[in-house]
Amino acid sequence: MMNKLIVGRFVPKDSFVHRMDARAKVLLSIAYIFIIFEVTNWLGYLIMGLFTIAVTSLTKVSLKTYIQGIKPLIWLITFTVFIQMFFAPSGHVLWNYWIFKVTDIGLLNAVYVLVRFILIIMMSTVLTLTTSPLAIADALEYLMKPLLKIKFPVYEVSLMLSIALRFVPTLMDETERIMNAQRARGVDFANGGIIKRVKALVPILIPLFTNAMKRAIELGDAMEARGYQIDKPRSRYRILVWHRRDTMACLVFGLLLIILIIIKHFI
Amino acid sequence: MNSEKNNDLKPTAKLVLMGLVAAMYVALTSSFGFGIVQFRMSEMFNHLAAFNKRYIVAVTLGVVIANSFQSPYGMIDVVVGSLQTLVMTSLAYFCTRKVKNTITKLTITTVISTLMMWVIAVEIMYMTKAPIAFWPTYGSLMVGELASMVLGGIIIYFISKRIDLTR
Repeated sequence: MMNKLIVGRFVPKDSFVHRMDARAKVLLSIAYIFIIFEVTNWLGYLIMGLFTIAVTSLTKVSLKTYIQGIKPLIWLITFTVFIQMFFAPSGHVLWNYWIFKVTDIGLLNAVYVLVRFILIIMMSTVLTLTTSPLAIADALEYLMKPLLKIKFPVYEVSLMLSIALRFVPTLMDETERIMNAQRARGVDFANGGIIKRVKALVPILIPLFTNAMKRAIELGDAMEARGYQIDKPRSRYRILVWHRRDTMACLVFGLLLIILIIIKHFI
Repeated sequence: MNSEKNNDLKPTAKLVLMGLVAAMYVALTSSFGFGIVQFRMSEMFNHLAAFNKRYIVAVTLGVVIANSFQSPYGMIDVVVGSLQTLVMTSLAYFCTRKVKNTITKLTITTVISTLMMWVIAVEIMYMTKAPIAFWPTYGSLMVGELASMVLGGIIIYFISKRIDLTR
């Protein structure tokens, strides 16, 4: 369980995308969703597909890892594609049975939905595979800074984010130890009815909650003893640096958007 | 645990506790994971908002972290998913504030959380540009959420018997 999280989805490599600033990657992965909205025809999808493959190859992470990212959603994708295919509201009818109707437009839309799903998942996976959770948290903190103007507690939220990220492995380790302790007492987590298995989680969560409260008191005292004060700005240990490569990546995305707008309106 | 007066926690300790609950959300998400119909056992933490408003922020942060390195939809899911959780848990808190019975509290939270899945269905619909897929997607998401909230409700019910979650 521990290893699963430490590894997470982040694959440490030395690639162009890995070296990019986390803020740029967060912003561009959001921008990608809006850019894909500009795609309305097969040429647009072809360009987006080639662009996405080029970006994934820049990460130096194998294509297999990206395909694994699609796997958990395979049922949802299949489901959505089939709905699109069999319930098309318009187009030339190719096949008809009871409430199901396959039309040429429905088929085309189903293919577009499939491609769109895969591309979005692949690009989102680029962010999580090339950026450590801590770097993502730092980027989110930085991007939240404008909210200070509306008195949003950015520093407190980012502190909570850091604490949460710091304690996830500890808590997972603790969960494992509690589970082993309960197993030693004869608790069976793998067998029995659903209610029995759910009830077996109670003796895991109670010590977790109790320990969390004790830990909160201790850590709070330790922080205050070291001069921590709520509402005061904090200095940073990890500094994010925006490089020329980040500006370059933003320009490439801008260029892609222009090309797609031209294709949408003129081709 | 009842001797641990949560209300007496210093502001810094309260802040730390929120971070730790967020970490517990992530830890449970990782352990029991995404499934075919978005079955997230950690969604049971939504029930906590019915006991103390502090957990609204804690669970929202948990969703931010879990989605930022686990969700296949990436940053859009971080923004939409966490805002949905924020609204959902806030609604659960306000609707259950005056409710004394734990089972009623948990039932209200389950209903709110299940119905609020429309936000995620709209997110998926817009991302895939598949408007006719809204209802089936909403249905499948509701099934997953209902399952996690009902099972989670049973767990939180037993925990609330041992730990005073309101204090």
